Amino acid sequence: MNAPERSAAFQLDEDSGEVKIVYNSDTKISNAGTFTLNKEDHTVGNLFRMQLLRDPSVRFAGYMIPHPLIHRVELRIQTSSSTVSPVEVLSSAIEDLNNETDHLISQTTDAIEQWRKENDQGGMGQF
Amino acid sequence: MPHQRFPKVQILDLAPHEMRFILSDTDTSMANTVRRIMIAEVPTLAIDLVEFHDNSTVLNDEYIAHRLGLIPIRYQAQNSLKGGDCNGAFLPHQECVCYERCPRCSVEFEVEVDYDKENAKRPEGERDMPITVTSRDLLSNNSQVMPAHFLSEEEADEAHDEGISIVKMGPGQKLKLKAVARMGISKEHAKWCPVAVATYRFWPVVTINEEQCATLTLEQKQELVDACPDRIIELDEVTGKLVEAENSWDIATFTEDLSNTQRAMKQRPEDDDFVTVEQATDRFIFHVETTGAMDAEEILMSALRVLKDRLNYLAQEVENLKDL
Repeated sequence: MNAPERSAAFQLDEDSGEVKIVYNSDTKISNAGTFTLNKEDHTVGNLFRMQLLRDPSVRFAGYMIPHPLIHRVELRIQTSSSTVSPVEVLSSAIEDLNNETDHLISQTTDAIEQWRKENDQGGMGQF
Repeated sequence: MPHQRFPKVQILDLAPHEMRFILSDTDTSMANTVRRIMIAEVPTLAIDLVEFHDNSTVLNDEYIAHRLGLIPIRYQAQNSLKGGDCNGAFLPHQECVCYERCPRCSVEFEVEVDYDKENAKRPEGERDMPITVTSRDLLSNNSQVMPAHFLSEEEADEAHDEGISIVKMGPGQKLKLKAVARMGISKEHAKWCPVAVATYRFWPVVTINEEQCATLTLEQKQELVDACPDRIIELDEVTGKLVEAENSWDIATFTEDLSNTQRAMKQRPEDDDFVTVEQATDRFIFHVETTGAMDAEEILMSALRVLKDRLNYLAQEVENLKDL
C-alpha cells in the first residue's frame, strides 16, 4: 500500500519537477557547496568522491545518502581557492572519469581480442 | 586529463557463461562501480506481462507468471552466436512511442500445451506420465530472441529436462498463455539481473622480511608455512628460505592465522613481522558468472557503456548548472 514503485529508485519524478542535480552554495564557508544528485546511489557517489579527492585544489570532498529509502546523494565539495569553483572541479572530475572509462573500454576490447587470439577461439558463443 | 588514471585489463579466463579478469591501476571506487553496474544496471530482456487464456494446471496463474519472469532471455544479434547486448536493439518500454507494445520494445512468447494432445503423440513406454512444460515450449515471435535453456554444454548433458522446467501437467490439464518480454534493469526487479555472481577480490602482496627470517630455525619456518590455511608461502628445500607460492594470488584468503602465529614467535612484540600479507589497493581479481542471458564479456562491455552514458548525462547536467 505504501510501497513506492521500484522504478522510483532510478527514474526522475518529472511530475513533481525533480531535476537530476541541484547545487546549493554554502552560505557560511567560502568556495564550498553541496550538490544534490537525485535518483543516484553509491555507484556514482563513491566514484565522484574518490576522483575529487585526487584533485589538489579540492580541500574537502565527501558524499552521503541521508536516508536509504530516499534515493538521493549529497556531494559536498570545498575548493582551496576562489579561482576554482566546486562546479568546475566536479566538471573536471567527471571528464577525467569519462576518459578513464573510455580507456577501460578500449583496454577491455583489446584484452578480449588478445585472449581470443591466444586461445584460438574460432567459433564464438554458446554451443 | 590532469588526474586521470589509466586502468589495465588482463583476462585470465573467458567462457560464454563466466569470465575472470584482473583490473589494475585503478581505484576500489572504479572496481566497485563496475561491479555494481554489472549487478544492477545492465539492461536485459525478461518476461514482464503474461496473458492467460487457459490454465488448468496445479500451479496458479501468478505462480506460473513469476516463474516465466525469472527465465533468462537471450538476444542474439544477426549472424552471431553470442548472447548479445540487447541495449541497442530494443527500446525501454517507457521511451517507446507505441501505444502499448510493438516489436521495437518488446518480444512476445506463446505457450500452448495440452496434456491430452501431447500424450497421444508419445510412445507407449512414456504414456500417462506427467508432462513437463519447459522453456523449450516458449515460442518467440522474434527469431533473434529466445530463452536461455542451459548455461553450458555440461549443464545440458546433466539435466533431466530439455530446458528450464516451468510446470508439470497431468491428464486433462491445459496451459495456454501469451507472455511479453521487455527490457529492464535489475534495480527494478531481480529477474533482469544478467549475472549470477559479479565479484572481485584484492590482489595479495606478500612481503618476506629476509633479515627477520634469517633469525628463524627451519622448524619455525615450517611452522609458519603450516600456519597458513591457504598455503601461500612455501619453504624452498634447496636454500631453506621462505618463498611465496606461485599461485598465491589465486588462493590467498587474508586470514589472521599467519599474523597470530608470528606474534607468538616473535622475540619482542615490537619486532617486524617475518611475512606480511596485505591487500593491494589498485589491483583486483574479478569473477563474473552469467545466468545465460548474455555472454560474460558482453555484460562487462555493456556495464562500461552504461557507465559512460551515465557520466555523459551527469556531465551535461553539471554544464547546465554552470550556466545558471
